[in-house]
Amino acid sequence: MKRLHNAVVWKLVIILFIGVLPLSLYGQDEKIAPVTGTYAITNVNITQAPGRTIQLGTVVVKDGMITAVGKTVSIPADAKIIKADSMYLYAGFIDGLSHVGVDMPKEEEDQDVDDPSNPPNDIAGIQPDRDVRGLLNPADKSVDDWRKLGFTAAHVVPEGRMLPGSGAIVLLSGDTPDEMVYRSGTSLFSQLRGASGIYPNTVIGVMAKYRDLYRNASYAKSYKQRYEQDGAGMERPVSDRVLEAFYPVIDKRIPVAFKAESVLDIQRVFILKNDLGFNLMLGEVKQGWDVIDKIKSANASVFLSLELPELKEEKEKDSTDTDEGDTKKELTAAEEEQQRLDARKKEMILNHYKQPALFTANGVKFGFSTLEAKSKDIKSNLSKMVENGLSEDAALTALTTAPAQLLGLSNTMGTVDAGKIANLVISDKPYFDEKSNVKMVFVDGKLFEYDDKPKKKKSDGEDIDPIGSWSYSTETPQGTTTGTLKITGEAGDYSGEMTNSQTGETTSISDIAISGTSMTYSFQINAGGNMLSISVSVTIDGETFDGTMTVGSYGSFPVEGERIPEQ
Amino acid sequence: MKNNITLILALLLAFAASAQQKGDVLIKNGTVLTITNGDLAETDVLIRDGKISKIGKGLKAPSGAKTIDATGMYVMPGIIDAHSHIALDAVNEATSPVTAEVFTGDAVDPLDVSIYRALAGGVTTSHAMHGSANAVGGQCETIKHRYGTVDPEALKMKGAPRTIKFALGENPTRVHGAGNNMVPRTRMGVEAVFRNSFSEAQEYMAAWNEYNVNKSKKGFKGAPPKYDLRLETLADILKGEIIIHCHSYRADEIYMLMQVCKDFGIKRLVFQHVNEGFKVAPELAEFGAGASVFADWWAYKFEVYYSTAYNATILSENGVVTSINSDSGELIRHLYHEAAKTQKYGGLTDKDALSMITINPAKQLGIEDRVGSIEEGKEGDIAIFNNHPLSIYAIPMYTIIDGVLQFDRQNDPDDMRIYVNPEEKIDVTFSQNDHTVDRCMQGTEFLFKN
Repeated sequence: MKRLHNAVVWKLVIILFIGVLPLSLYGQDEKIAPVTGTYAITNVNITQAPGRTIQLGTVVVKDGMITAVGKTVSIPADAKIIKADSMYLYAGFIDGLSHVGVDMPKEEEDQDVDDPSNPPNDIAGIQPDRDVRGLLNPADKSVDDWRKLGFTAAHVVPEGRMLPGSGAIVLLSGDTPDEMVYRSGTSLFSQLRGASGIYPNTVIGVMAKYRDLYRNASYAKSYKQRYEQDGAGMERPVSDRVLEAFYPVIDKRIPVAFKAESVLDIQRVFILKNDLGFNLMLGEVKQGWDVIDKIKSANASVFLSLELPELKEEKEKDSTDTDEGDTKKELTAAEEEQQRLDARKKEMILNHYKQPALFTANGVKFGFSTLEAKSKDIKSNLSKMVENGLSEDAALTALTTAPAQLLGLSNTMGTVDAGKIANLVISDKPYFDEKSNVKMVFVDGKLFEYDDKPKKKKSDGEDIDPIGSWSYSTETPQGTTTGTLKITGEAGDYSGEMTNSQTGETTSISDIAISGTSMTYSFQINAGGNMLSISVSVTIDGETFDGTMTVGSYGSFPVEGERIPEQ
Repeated sequence: MKNNITLILALLLAFAASAQQKGDVLIKNGTVLTITNGDLAETDVLIRDGKISKIGKGLKAPSGAKTIDATGMYVMPGIIDAHSHIALDAVNEATSPVTAEVFTGDAVDPLDVSIYRALAGGVTTSHAMHGSANAVGGQCETIKHRYGTVDPEALKMKGAPRTIKFALGENPTRVHGAGNNMVPRTRMGVEAVFRNSFSEAQEYMAAWNEYNVNKSKKGFKGAPPKYDLRLETLADILKGEIIIHCHSYRADEIYMLMQVCKDFGIKRLVFQHVNEGFKVAPELAEFGAGASVFADWWAYKFEVYYSTAYNATILSENGVVTSINSDSGELIRHLYHEAAKTQKYGGLTDKDALSMITINPAKQLGIEDRVGSIEEGKEGDIAIFNNHPLSIYAIPMYTIIDGVLQFDRQNDPDDMRIYVNPEEKIDVTFSQNDHTVDRCMQGTEFLFKN
């Protein structure tokens, strides 16, 4: 939802009353245009760029552009003055790789394919010819969620599997998709994610298919060049949108933007890059700390994930406890093992938290990406990174100047300087202060205001009530499974059953346990004569949950669900 | 607790540093089972810069070299497993009966703790194979168990010949025939898939040859043939650049694939499992095909009922290069026991029994000039046991790869994982059974749901 400045609305009301403007122009509140495109943000602490600050200065914005920044600047007569007294102003943040504002059509479940070894490209997830512009929805909730965090521009890509489509740079405002678009065809988005039950299904299938497509595209491209020079006597090259989508990559006009979260996926992408030679943009990196040298030598642009694993601090026992072994109860072997395992897990989680600081220390320029992050976690995750060694300047760099450079936007975005697009974020306290709130965001010169909403107090530590019916869906190599989950009973003695919409089977679930907002349960399925134990662990957030399902030794798969309202 | 963490980190760092290194080590005074040159009592083996530089008595350690006192111990070449699926993130691209283009080298997982478990069983090299879901499966990677790195490249045995997995019988017919209602539905279909694939590859090669010959000619107007990574790979098999390793059980089919290979001029062929190999042992020997078998595992599906524990001996006695494999992250830890079974069933000599897990699998993988025996000039891959490795009392003490100590029983921490799952649920009482599934068919389970 777009909010107009209260004062602007008030002014409009007055104007309407005195009848200066024809009423018909303003049939709907939503469509009210701002009275002026000129703003002067005064008395504000300006961080023009990391390390470049002006105490209590003024920023003038006119028609979508920053026109003046300084301690004392003349304020145009038509400017609406925003007294941002003692607030903090930064360049609008740039999201380096994101699905923000991308509204994907619902994927049809388990589409029947005649020949799973040779499925149609779109079902196989091979859609590099798809343009993210056709999937943008400026009214998507994520646009405002991201803007509220201070993001004003994003490199957006479609969702999908191996080759979801081409990306675009968008501004997080506008009434139509085209109004959002700053630059299109900026990258070829790729993932090591295979198709469900059809070719290419696994990472080895995806990598082989990627090579095959890329090399075919190279041949097709050079043949087409030959044909265009002197086509007489030559067989006419057949148009192929999938292969043609690779041409700008082969020409090194645009990079491949590869999603690679794990340390292994990152290195698999390097294998492809070495084989094929494309320019690489690495997105959603979660475990890059051990491969910094490889990232450097691949000369890849890097966007680190803003999703972090959660560190659940136990009630911290005083570390001296264990040393006074005589007075305390001896730990059992299992408890000791538990402690060791917990310590290793914590160490691993902290590696994720420390990653941005480590990249900075190693001189690797990076931005952030949000393919996986939830908006509610982003600000606290940034704080965790800062708490774990990332300087605030470096964090700001990764949100502004670095992505601007990595995405080729430095001329027009990334700093608060005259001539740049008026993308600004204004917070009541320094942004990286835990208690700061974003009060105003300018995108493309348009003002969005945010009030503090009194947060609904959730009583801390109280167990959530899971009773009722939930829909769930999980994604495994077999495809998507959906169904319902019904939980009955009372706290401490829950029971339940789940149905599978695909098979129609009903299975009882057991070991239902609730702790705070997390719920765990397990069930068994018969897999070819073997009973397979499946354990599920989810976090309930209001009316939805998400988490993982662990299937014996086959691995873990995502599961999510939603409460089915009572009839 | 802090100390524990520090210790673990220190160990991991030590391991990380050792990845892909070549080391110096002097193994003193052991009984050296060279495999190719008899057993040498109270003999030293010196490894310098990753290679065995000297075998003899009274050798001096160069400065900086680690010395292992192997007095009373047995020093053998690092064990080689010609059929394994450890250290892989993906095993089967089970969506097509022919997937020659896929490559397990793309899915190598250096973080798999199974690698360390294999080291703890003296295994230094394994053949990380594609599964047996497809008639023509994917290409495989030969890896050295250099555990302690996050770099998949560090595990790859650079320079080892390319290999590819084929499969006969129930697996491909079940996956594609019964599972997806396509060819091959029968054993005849499997043969047809091979013949069609190779014929297409011949046409593909011919088309490219013609194009390459003509393309530089003046006024040439032709288009290049459509590039196809699958046919490229099949063509490389026809050119002799890739060794076929074929999952097989029944004698008729084993014979069939030899005929197919003869017809297409393919010479490098190793059969895997080969439970009925004993029925066609002379034919296998005549062809020059290898056989990589289980010591005594069968009856897990219909086509594996006609089996015998004497298989390895019969094949070996008929002159077939025979190895004993694991196909399992569990069996791989005691391949020396598996090899010893050939003495119970067939009375093979120590040398022949040990050859089954050293020089013979090396030959099948085309790496016998580098590993598989203790010879000067070969790579410094060594397993040291407290007793004779074929003894039931044998315990692996040290495992060395390229002169770097990778396993030391005296320094063997509980938790050898390199990365832990940051979202794992820690429950020390939780147990799960890993050994109920046939790893060969990993990733195909979804095809058999009702």
